[in-house]
Amino acid sequence: MIEFKRVNKIYDEENAALKNINLSIEKGEFLFLVGPSGSGKSTFMKLLIKEIIETSGSIFIAGRNICNLKNSRIPQLRRNIGCIFQDFKLLPNKTTFENVAFALEVIGRPGYEIKVQVPQVLKLVGLHDKEMSYPHQLSGGEQQRISIARAFVNRPPILLADEPTGNLDPATSDGIMKILSRINLMGTTVVMATHDRSIVNSMRRRVVELEEGEIIRDQKRGVYGD
Amino acid sequence: MVRPRYFFSETFTSFKKNFLMGFTAITTVAITLFIVGFFAVLVFDIQSIINSIRGQVELAVYLKDNITPELNDYIKDEISSWEETGNIIYISKEQALERFKEQNEGSDILKEIQGNPLPASFEITLNDPEKVELVALRFMDKDGNYIEGIDDVVYGQSYVNKLFSITAIIGTIVLLIIIVLLLATIVLIFNTIRLSIYARRKEIEVMKLVGASNWFVRVPFLFEGFFEGFIGSLLASIMLYIMGKFLLIKGERVIVETMRIKDLAILGSLNIIVYIYAGMIIFGGLLGIISSVIALRRYVKT
Repeated sequence: MIEFKRVNKIYDEENAALKNINLSIEKGEFLFLVGPSGSGKSTFMKLLIKEIIETSGSIFIAGRNICNLKNSRIPQLRRNIGCIFQDFKLLPNKTTFENVAFALEVIGRPGYEIKVQVPQVLKLVGLHDKEMSYPHQLSGGEQQRISIARAFVNRPPILLADEPTGNLDPATSDGIMKILSRINLMGTTVVMATHDRSIVNSMRRRVVELEEGEIIRDQKRGVYGD
Repeated sequence: MVRPRYFFSETFTSFKKNFLMGFTAITTVAITLFIVGFFAVLVFDIQSIINSIRGQVELAVYLKDNITPELNDYIKDEISSWEETGNIIYISKEQALERFKEQNEGSDILKEIQGNPLPASFEITLNDPEKVELVALRFMDKDGNYIEGIDDVVYGQSYVNKLFSITAIIGTIVLLIIIVLLLATIVLIFNTIRLSIYARRKEIEVMKLVGASNWFVRVPFLFEGFFEGFIGSLLASIMLYIMGKFLLIKGERVIVETMRIKDLAILGSLNIIVYIYAGMIIFGGLLGIISSVIALRRYVKT
């Protein structure tokens, strides 16, 4: 589903953010990207949605080299990759429903489809009774669930999660992980960057560890590390 | 996948939700364009006043009391034959006295007048006011004395010349003011719109994140920029109209009365004001759109 071939990303002359990354992620896989801050986890994610451009190498998604993608095709790429972040990135002046519906509106889905899809996905994340609430009226865990709903409402084949539990307590984090697992079981490829040792250890999924821009470990059913 | 309803409703709801920013942008456009428009109207107004003064530049050729009718006719024919001559009126001694009485009605000066001391005259209007000096010289011989039968030629040479040079200076100064104000307006409006887009950068970020196309992100902002520019300049025009109606026209009357200008081209200048309004509104709308396009470039690159 996702393949990195000899990918390098250099922000400035001295330090490479990613060095010679070769990695293949299968369809339907759940992969943890671990490593200290500045090890290149976010760079990895940003390359996939072409928020930044690789210095060299090729990245394939569903067999297609996204390095040759025209600027005008980038929105199409992003419609196939859902993203969630540590800071949720919700719009404060929109309700739960509107925040999720927004993702469908801006890609031009018709109104009747929005009316069906949004409640469905809100039910999936357990927020169907909070449709009319504004983000500031909700807890951090609930806000993150809105952002998952927004990322998934379009049923993208890939979901990227950049430290999704970074701002949440362990119990709330477990709830988020359950939702991500459920989404993964529906066939979605999930890539999650995290610092959270206990989550990685309890899930027993594939773990890729980055250090100073290099892959130092790639383990099936792995743990966080030493 | 064009969805005008989405864009209009998005423009409208976003304006409602970002009311303060929109309000700021509209007021900025309205006030700055009002000031620019005010000066523009002022220029055209002054211009029209000056034009009517220029149109009235005339020569008064005073005749000696003892002039023979033959010479009188000869001078009249001579003046009529010049191509600079627009209009020529003969004012007899009696008519001159009559007019003097009218102009000074109720004044003590009338009681002191005995007989008729006023001379007969030709009043000449010129097609080209700037040739007034040239025409006046024709009433003199080469020694600088008036030719036979002419007592005096009056055309207020210094007054006319000063008027022309002052006109030119005022015109240049006001034009400079307008240019500076226009630049200030552009910068101010651009910054306001940039600020209102900056305030919504999160929204833009999310739109791009979920895969909105660049045009989809841009269009509501362009609508909003146009809307703000358009409404702002419309307000400026309305303010200008009200002010023009109550202040400028009154001011014009004062000028007309103090300077004894006969037929000031108020109507002519009003026509021009309509062009100023139209220009302002188009300018405001365009400026709103262009500002939005430039300000968005930072956020909508890819």
